[in-house]
Amino acid sequence: MEEMFEFRLHGRGGQGIVVAASIFAEAVFLDGNYARAFSLFGAERRGAPVTAFIRISRDRLMPRSRIYQPDYVVVFDSSLAVETSVAGLKEGGTLLVNAGESEDGNLFINTTRKNNYNIYAVDATEIAWKYKLAIGSFPMVNTVMLGAMASLSGFASLESLTNSIKKRVTARLEANISAVSEGYESVKEVKRLVT
Amino acid sequence: MPFELMSGSQAAAVAVQRAGIDLVVAYPITPQTAIVETLANFDARGELGGDFVSVESEYAALACCYGAAAAGARVFTATASHGLAYMHEMIHWCSGARVPIVMANVNRTIGAPWCLDPDQGDSLSQRDTGWLQIYCSGAQEVLDTIIQAFLLSEELLLPCMVVFDGFYISHTYEAVDVPEEDKARAFVGKPSFKAQVRPGSPANMHGLTTGDNQIHLIRERHDAMQRAPGLLKSINSRFMETFERGYDVIDSVIAPGVKTVIMAAGATAETVRWSLPGLNNTGLIQLRMFRPFPCEDLRSVIEAHGVEKVIVIDRNCSTGMGGIFAQELRSAIYEMENPPAVQDIILAGGIDLTYEMLKKIIEQEKTEGHLEQTWGVDLR
Repeated sequence: MEEMFEFRLHGRGGQGIVVAASIFAEAVFLDGNYARAFSLFGAERRGAPVTAFIRISRDRLMPRSRIYQPDYVVVFDSSLAVETSVAGLKEGGTLLVNAGESEDGNLFINTTRKNNYNIYAVDATEIAWKYKLAIGSFPMVNTVMLGAMASLSGFASLESLTNSIKKRVTARLEANISAVSEGYESVKEVKRLVT
Repeated sequence: MPFELMSGSQAAAVAVQRAGIDLVVAYPITPQTAIVETLANFDARGELGGDFVSVESEYAALACCYGAAAAGARVFTATASHGLAYMHEMIHWCSGARVPIVMANVNRTIGAPWCLDPDQGDSLSQRDTGWLQIYCSGAQEVLDTIIQAFLLSEELLLPCMVVFDGFYISHTYEAVDVPEEDKARAFVGKPSFKAQVRPGSPANMHGLTTGDNQIHLIRERHDAMQRAPGLLKSINSRFMETFERGYDVIDSVIAPGVKTVIMAAGATAETVRWSLPGLNNTGLIQLRMFRPFPCEDLRSVIEAHGVEKVIVIDRNCSTGMGGIFAQELRSAIYEMENPPAVQDIILAGGIDLTYEMLKKIIEQEKTEGHLEQTWGVDLR
């Protein structure tokens, strides 16, 4: 059994987390590891909670089960239920949240009960607005989050991520590529305000 | 670059395009929609190499396949769950009419209530319809099996269902070694079966007959089915020479001295395969071909290794009896001199199978002795 690294992504229908997971898996694969990305959803609808998974290994053979004890939890929308999102996150694991100075984001981070993982934040919503990445009033944060995931985990280079995006994203390509870089650069560790 | 990251559904569509197809008949249903969607994209780019027809229902989809195959065309369609159930009458008709068709079925629970998880009850409820059925454990296997299925189906004049799990395969993006179009088309060749109908020579097909005639036709279908395991093996050896990978009718991993094996079909087989190093002295039989049921292959692998116990993973349940793969295995081994004990693990509703559950199953035997039937939810 080769060692595996597992990501669980939590977001809402329409945020592009399923596409993000496949882009990340492709970038990881381009950089020399095997990766699989898959998702679970019910009837697809905008705003409903969606979960996606990424598995990474040196070996092509991997189990086909869901991920219950991830090394990384990535939260695309900080208004999602906190405990469901961080459930099973490994000790010493990494929690990455789309959170800025807004009340919602801090609330998410401050209500995570356990202390045994590292918390990082990137203001993906703000960055998405900056590059006008939105469908109507719905900011498309997925490429920003991808940049942050790559820089935190080291499993995908910015170059491979960009190449993967070029293959899979057709709309607003330049803006998305800038968003990835900015996500890559601006992710930062955060401490809970209250302990 | 031969390796591409794609989903199981995309791999199925790529297989159809690479094999060379005359007609794709499409009607969408979750979780197979990406198959016909990908084929529609090939068509839109002018790369399909055949015709693409959207129809008004699954029943119409298979009826359309039947007509085209009767005229000598190589045809493909895909469905899942309620779509497959809706085809039921045509499913029988196509095998009775001896037309080759390749159809992908992506497992999804049949309602009520609505459920998208990959219970195998949709395809297994078509067990007795005279279709060949092959179950795949990942995207690469889906691609390769569909390519092989055209040859199998056309040689035997029996329709073939290639089956794989919704989401765990259909929606999983993974690295797939994609064969070059020329190489794949040369391997499959043009369809060589005889057309049953021709323009200009009208005929009345499949008119009323009697049981005395029908029994001969059914027997011919049964005999053709019996040829399938041997034929798939020979198609596969040629495939291995060309593409340097391949699959048997059953694929087993049994180390010397191992007496307990887990039998699984579809995505769960790969979870078991990955888990083996952590499961004390346990082997795997991946059941690929389900119809015809590979009795001889199973008996010979069980006998060769002196297997004492087979734990069957059934992501399905024939209520009132139990898991369907376990039932079939029990029938196949009944006449053996030393048949192994069979434990049936029921994952009905398409529930997840994890490494932790597999460890529990193996531990369970030590504390509780042999159990005939275990419900997956009790292993969490």
